[in-house]
Amino acid sequence: MRRLLTLLWLLLCTPALAADLAADVRARLVDAPVLRGSFEQQKTVAGFKKPLVSRGDFLVVRDQGVLWNTRSPFASSLTVTRKSLRAEQEGGAAYQLESTREPALTAVNELLLALVSGDLSVLATRFRLEGELVAKGGWKLTLIPTDASVSRLFRRVRLEGDTFVRQVELEEVRGDSTRILFDQLAQTPPPGPAELERLGK
Amino acid sequence: MGSRLAILWAVLVLAVGMHQVSFWRSTRLDTDVLALLPEDEQAPEVGAATRRLADEAGRELVLLVGGPDWPAAQRAAEVAARALSDSGAPLEPSALDASALEDAVAFYLPYRDRLLTPGQREWLARASEKELEATALMKLYQPAGPRLTAWNADPLGLWPDWWAARAAESVARPREGRLWLSGEGREWVLLSYRGTVSSFALGEQGAVSAAVARARAAVLSAVPGGRLVAAGVPLYVEAAAAQASWEMSTIGLGSLLAVLLLVWLTFRSVRPIVLIGVSLLVGSAIALSVTALLFERVHLLTLVFGATLVGVAEDYGFHYFAARTGRPASERRSLMRSLLPGMALALLTSVVAYLALGLAPFPGLRQMAVFASAGLLGAFLTVVCWFPLADYGELPVTRFAERVSTALGRWPRFGLGLRSGLVLGGLLVLTAGGLWRLQSRDDLRQLQNAPAALVADQRELGRLLALPSPAQFFLVEGADAEQTLVRESALKQRLDALVAEGALAGYRAVSDWLPPAEQQRADQALSARAEQTVLAAVATATGEELQRAAFAAGTLTPEQLLSSPVGRAVRQQWLGQVGDRQLSVLMLNGLNDASVLPRLARAADGLQGVRWVDKTEEVSRLLGRYRRVMTGLLVAGYAAVLVLLALRFRRQALRAWVPSALGSLVTLGVLGWMGEPLQLFTVLGLVVLLGMGVDYGIFLLEHPGDDSTWLAVALAGVSTFLSFGLLALSATPALRSFGLTMLVGEVTIWMLTPCFRPLPHQERT
Repeated sequence: MRRLLTLLWLLLCTPALAADLAADVRARLVDAPVLRGSFEQQKTVAGFKKPLVSRGDFLVVRDQGVLWNTRSPFASSLTVTRKSLRAEQEGGAAYQLESTREPALTAVNELLLALVSGDLSVLATRFRLEGELVAKGGWKLTLIPTDASVSRLFRRVRLEGDTFVRQVELEEVRGDSTRILFDQLAQTPPPGPAELERLGK
Repeated sequence: MGSRLAILWAVLVLAVGMHQVSFWRSTRLDTDVLALLPEDEQAPEVGAATRRLADEAGRELVLLVGGPDWPAAQRAAEVAARALSDSGAPLEPSALDASALEDAVAFYLPYRDRLLTPGQREWLARASEKELEATALMKLYQPAGPRLTAWNADPLGLWPDWWAARAAESVARPREGRLWLSGEGREWVLLSYRGTVSSFALGEQGAVSAAVARARAAVLSAVPGGRLVAAGVPLYVEAAAAQASWEMSTIGLGSLLAVLLLVWLTFRSVRPIVLIGVSLLVGSAIALSVTALLFERVHLLTLVFGATLVGVAEDYGFHYFAARTGRPASERRSLMRSLLPGMALALLTSVVAYLALGLAPFPGLRQMAVFASAGLLGAFLTVVCWFPLADYGELPVTRFAERVSTALGRWPRFGLGLRSGLVLGGLLVLTAGGLWRLQSRDDLRQLQNAPAALVADQRELGRLLALPSPAQFFLVEGADAEQTLVRESALKQRLDALVAEGALAGYRAVSDWLPPAEQQRADQALSARAEQTVLAAVATATGEELQRAAFAAGTLTPEQLLSSPVGRAVRQQWLGQVGDRQLSVLMLNGLNDASVLPRLARAADGLQGVRWVDKTEEVSRLLGRYRRVMTGLLVAGYAAVLVLLALRFRRQALRAWVPSALGSLVTLGVLGWMGEPLQLFTVLGLVVLLGMGVDYGIFLLEHPGDDSTWLAVALAGVSTFLSFGLLALSATPALRSFGLTMLVGEVTIWMLTPCFRPLPHQERT
């Protein structure tokens, strides 16, 4: 009888459960204002038989932005802040988008920042969270877009991690997907002058 | 004879009555503000362009709903949209949403390779193979860069930038499923609606205005610091209709009551009240029927103007009854015969003056002229045919009438003495002073009477949204669609320079959405070369076999674009075949600074088939020209009337003519002192004044020394004064200045005419 009541209570309280899940995951995540690490990215793109693999390192500074430095197969850098998205590469290729002019970009940038740093409160405004806690302090989340502008780009996003986000998988509506594995995560050293300058632009 | 005429007239009036019933059942009155505007004389295609823009834009209702921050703005938008959809107003949301964007992307996809921005064109022409390859690889390896196509259909990621350039035509940006913009300290959501019925079928009930007002109230109560700004032709039309119908009933009823009160005071008998009421009713009905038969639609402003007719058309009835008081009923036929020449002459001068209004090419004015002439004729014929029959009782002289009549004897008379000379001289000096101060103004604004709140909203929206102006644009023409588009592209290059220096926010051109075929072919070749290079390089770098996607074979044609739902964006600007030319309109965004206009006009210099159109300035020029033409006509009219009078009154003619001429000059002087500008409608007022002012002189000369005539003139003066006085309160500046001119002129002439009356012993020579 008590089990039945518990079951009923669970059925009635799934939204609360989602909120609880987010709270539980947040409790397991380390609060990191600065996060460094290396990444391996595998992109599956229609028309390419093999996944496109790239490696490099990154830096996330909370409330400022992400530096995404690809080292192989060629060097290029991407700077994402709330205000703009800037990409540069050897050979002179470069482009820049200002989010003051394109609010859709603000949404994408916020999303990227939130994904890399595991900012669940931002994610919860645009996604429905599903998932579970796993043993040894780990967790898995599936994010289903609830926001129209996001759901036009992504079908779903998967996150896995423990004290940090360890893996992000983005499934695009067009069928392409991107999987990013994080490694060597650390909260030091603090960003250097060159890095701060890039973030401040 | 008289009774046969009366029966014939009764049959005619009956027919008019039947027409009235069907008219009020079926026809909607025209409330289109633009109907007052003159037809374009020089260039019918410019007229077509303006009409097309007006028709298309005529149903649009644009709202900006704002709040202090984005969540508040979203909440306000939700509240406003709900209030509008619950209101039952004939509105539907226009498809400005994201699904329309997706349709547009899908439509253009096969032609992606031939749609480049000027910047991309320049970059593709100069970029090295290495730079192209690096750019493609960089975008390919980026984590989840949103793409609009498969990779092999756009390896350089050019397509999103082209759309960004198209999106730049509008200030609003998609944000979380809404159109967003930020400005003037608030975040805004753009909502747009389209009327489900033509705007000019909207009536004075104001369904749309009421719905907007409800939405505004809902926003203000639900969102602290919320704001709703709305603009659109439907709101203007409803405001104008409400205004006009209010004025019509006020002026019409006001004059009618005044007239009937005067009749009662003067004759203390029901019969004159009934008969004069009938003559006015018949006159108004005939005026309306004739206008409805001659014109497609009767304009509301015509009725406002026509309402003043009441104050003029009763002159004939007054005249008859004033002569009839104290006479035996048996004399009424001979009485009518003796009155007829003077009344007919008075009618003739009035009708000629009204019809002179119709010489100006303003559809609204022509209607007013026809309406007024038909109304006067109807009232006149009613008096002549029916009054002698129906007026069988006795009509004793009342004390009031006696007092008015004998007042004429005490009225001053201008002679050749010193005092008369001084008074006249003083009057002339004062008049000259006023004339000296008189300024002419031929502003389009005299035709508009939009409520200030609406104009303020429109301005605010224009600032925030950088909306294109419907009054200034470029008209591009060519022998075929291709030539038109090529010429438009040449014009755009010149405008780009003005946009770059900030003189202009931007422009909307059909060729942005539909490049000329030659441009499409050139861009296709350019992008094919660059992308083949890139694909080969990326294939080598990744060890893949890559195929560039296939695109449509032919170029995108105007027919394809215009027949698709996407073509809605440009349909109003693509006029297509007009005569033997193909025309398009290039519209300008964010034109808030009049000082830029001359520079824009120069941008069309030396470009074949490109014409700068400034409707506002054009209409003002036209108003000015017709002001001068009508002034000439007025002078000619005075000469013609003098000849007419001389034929009947010989040397006495000046006595009827001078008061009107002098009165017109005094009126202009008074307007000068009042600081009122001289404009076309002032001159038109003087034209009508000539027709009516001379009547008093005619009546007094026809029956010199006859006190009853003076009674009729006095009554006519007072009632005319009342009806035009009411017209001077109209909110439409044109009608107001017309009414004011009539009012001042009427009083002056009415006061001057008896001063020039002949001495009682002077018989007609």
